[in-house]
Amino acid sequence: MLTSFLVRAVPSTFDLLLKPLHRRVWADAHRRASKLLRFAETEASGGRDLSRAAERTRDPSLRRLFMRHAEEEQRHADLFRRRGRELLSCSPGRSRFEANWLAPGERGLDDLQIDAHCDESLLAFLHLSEKAAAGRFALYAQVLDCDPDTRTVFVRILEDEVFHMNYTRKQLARLAPRKQGLRLWQARAGRLFKAYLRLATALASVLGTLMLGIQYFVLLPPFALLAKRGARREPPGFAAARAPTPLQRQY
Amino acid sequence: MAILGISAHYHDSAAALVKDGVPVCAVQEERLSRRKNDAAFPLNAIEWCLDRAGVRPEELEAVVFYEKPMLKFERILTMALRGFPRSWGSFPRAMRSALGGKLWVKGMIASDLGVPSDRILFTEHHQAHAAAAFFASPARRAAILTADGVGEWATLSLGRGSIEDDGSASIELFRELRFPHSLGMLYSTFTAYLGFPVNEGEHKVMGLASYGKPAFEEQVRRMVPRTADGAFALDLSYFEFQEGARRSFSDRLVAELGPARDPWDPIDLSTAEGARYADVASSVQRVLEEILVDLARSLQRETGLQDLCFGGGVALNGCANARILSESGFRNLYVPCAPGDSGCALGAALYADRLHFRRAHRALPDHPYWGPEIDAGELVRLAREDGLELQESPREGDLIARTVEELAAGRIVGWMQGCAELGPRALGNRSILAAPHEAAMRDTLNRSIKYREEFRPFAPAVPIEHAERFFELPEGGARLGRFMSGVFPVRPEWRERLAAVTHVDGTARVQTVERAMAPRFHALLEAYGARTNLPILLNTSFNLAGEPIVNRAAEGYSTFRRSGVDVLVAENVLVRKRRQASSEQAVE
Repeated sequence: MLTSFLVRAVPSTFDLLLKPLHRRVWADAHRRASKLLRFAETEASGGRDLSRAAERTRDPSLRRLFMRHAEEEQRHADLFRRRGRELLSCSPGRSRFEANWLAPGERGLDDLQIDAHCDESLLAFLHLSEKAAAGRFALYAQVLDCDPDTRTVFVRILEDEVFHMNYTRKQLARLAPRKQGLRLWQARAGRLFKAYLRLATALASVLGTLMLGIQYFVLLPPFALLAKRGARREPPGFAAARAPTPLQRQY
Repeated sequence: MAILGISAHYHDSAAALVKDGVPVCAVQEERLSRRKNDAAFPLNAIEWCLDRAGVRPEELEAVVFYEKPMLKFERILTMALRGFPRSWGSFPRAMRSALGGKLWVKGMIASDLGVPSDRILFTEHHQAHAAAAFFASPARRAAILTADGVGEWATLSLGRGSIEDDGSASIELFRELRFPHSLGMLYSTFTAYLGFPVNEGEHKVMGLASYGKPAFEEQVRRMVPRTADGAFALDLSYFEFQEGARRSFSDRLVAELGPARDPWDPIDLSTAEGARYADVASSVQRVLEEILVDLARSLQRETGLQDLCFGGGVALNGCANARILSESGFRNLYVPCAPGDSGCALGAALYADRLHFRRAHRALPDHPYWGPEIDAGELVRLAREDGLELQESPREGDLIARTVEELAAGRIVGWMQGCAELGPRALGNRSILAAPHEAAMRDTLNRSIKYREEFRPFAPAVPIEHAERFFELPEGGARLGRFMSGVFPVRPEWRERLAAVTHVDGTARVQTVERAMAPRFHALLEAYGARTNLPILLNTSFNLAGEPIVNRAAEGYSTFRRSGVDVLVAENVLVRKRRQASSEQAVE
């Protein structure tokens, strides 16, 4: 029965539609290098989260699987890092534009607070996260005709990702045979909510920056003049230490 | 009477609890949250401290925060104004960060802990550093030097502390340097220039410095001209950190020293570029040391005191500490186990106890082990579940004998005992230990356990009774080595036999171990000495790259399973790794 959960890594329809764009993003060697190095960081961070999960679970077989998963994420980080550095050393150009919003790596555990989740919800979340990453890596392998070495890296990592995707599903079925569907939907809703939060935070950040930027240029100039004048009057070197103020005061 | 000290919001958040004038416990948030250098408000650490001390929040006499938030905000705002209009990019970021939380610490503490707001106190950042350095030292009268990146305004302060016969204590800070003129920021700027993460990679700069020559010394000196009163003032045309820019150095600095290192580029010391990075590191290290020695020397002349207490993140620079001790005229240099911001939690609580509530000083236990205790039962359970070879030794002698055999056979041991250390150093309670003889051991540890750069050295731990035999310690050097705070030459005749712990310049960051402070670790070193004629072990922190030092047995076990550590010891339990065990068992 458990084998019915085995799934293959398939890029999402949305990603497939954007395949030509992905091909373009990955065509630039320097951008490729930067992206791989960034992926390396994400994989290493995901590995740390998984080792934390292994430290917390009371289920021995799950602990061993999390531990193996953590080691594999670390290996992926090494593979990405090595390839990224190789590319960096032979691509002198600089491409600041990484298009991470279009072609992200694995999202790690998507800011999941490991300590706040039970094994079941963690497995559901991991399953979805690994599935998304595997689909994306499958697509990257497809668009990397121009760089067989990098493609090989993705293909090797993809094998592990498929294992991760399947073991998390299998273990979820073992631990929550009746609630697995619910857990997966909860995890999907959680991912959606996090995506909304990311978007809302980004929007709030843009609006906040705009408002503060306007205040900066409208309100600050006269004070800036005074502050600059004050700074010019400050003698270089030591100043007498500020007299201690009562500890109740915040200034 | 219990006082809770808190440091948070910059890096290395921590909490510490002082009861009846003596610390009961202290822990960095990262050890519990498992996020390296966690700067978040340390709720986990606070909860643990209260639990450990058996104190309810409402029973706290005071909660002391290690900074004055409004004063800090004044500095941030003033610097934005001074940097106008170039600070336009950083201004919204800084304001969002301050107004979005950091400014409202009082409310945060009151609501999170349920403590009345009149019990919430604030020390100045450098007062907390000074208190941590002075009150934790055995000195009754001492000069005080604190230096770090920045607190509110002060970046470096000079003063003195004293404890009278009736126990009344005083700390007087009489001079300070103010932002942006900061030794900590100078070093951090070079850390960033050399492609290392700021607030984390400073020790890499120090390690790299030994491989270079101070070829850029003159250029660096021009960036930090000295002032007539013996202080210094950064030439701000070389720096951009003061404007809150994303990059802390300017194009002018790059023009002087050459292109900055890309963080992704590996450092290859056999290339001209790699050698240049080492030379830059060596140059800034040299300049930093000279300024600190000068400041300490003039402080010694001014105060006429024999002891110096040194706090702040800059006090983590062991090479500079050794030079201060040798050249400044002070006979003793006391650096606390956590001189950085994490130690400020303890410093703030002690400052309030001694100077706000005016309680008589009580001598502090002179050890760094203030954190959570190890539970060997957890390791027993994990090892049994995974079918690993396990030995429980009710007699300490048996455990030590077994561990020594493993070490002598060239195996790497994860060693967890008692309470975790406060501060960035593993001092024998959460350590990875190995034989110090072969350079190959250093390379193995760097490559397959710590996953870090080849140029980074490892420290030796030696019983204090034998330290002089192997290391050239100046007067006071053994004390400085108590918390691994000084770098000293290895005696030339021992360098070859201590290859794994001797840095390229013939030095080592020695830990001198006293029986009274760490009896079991001391016994292990003595037993290893009896077995190999060399009572020294390589001692490095028990963690992997990017992770905080392990805290619980489960974390030690996880690190043990994921790395090349061969043997794990927690209290009286020893576990050996069965090769390929993990992959056999994981595949179902």
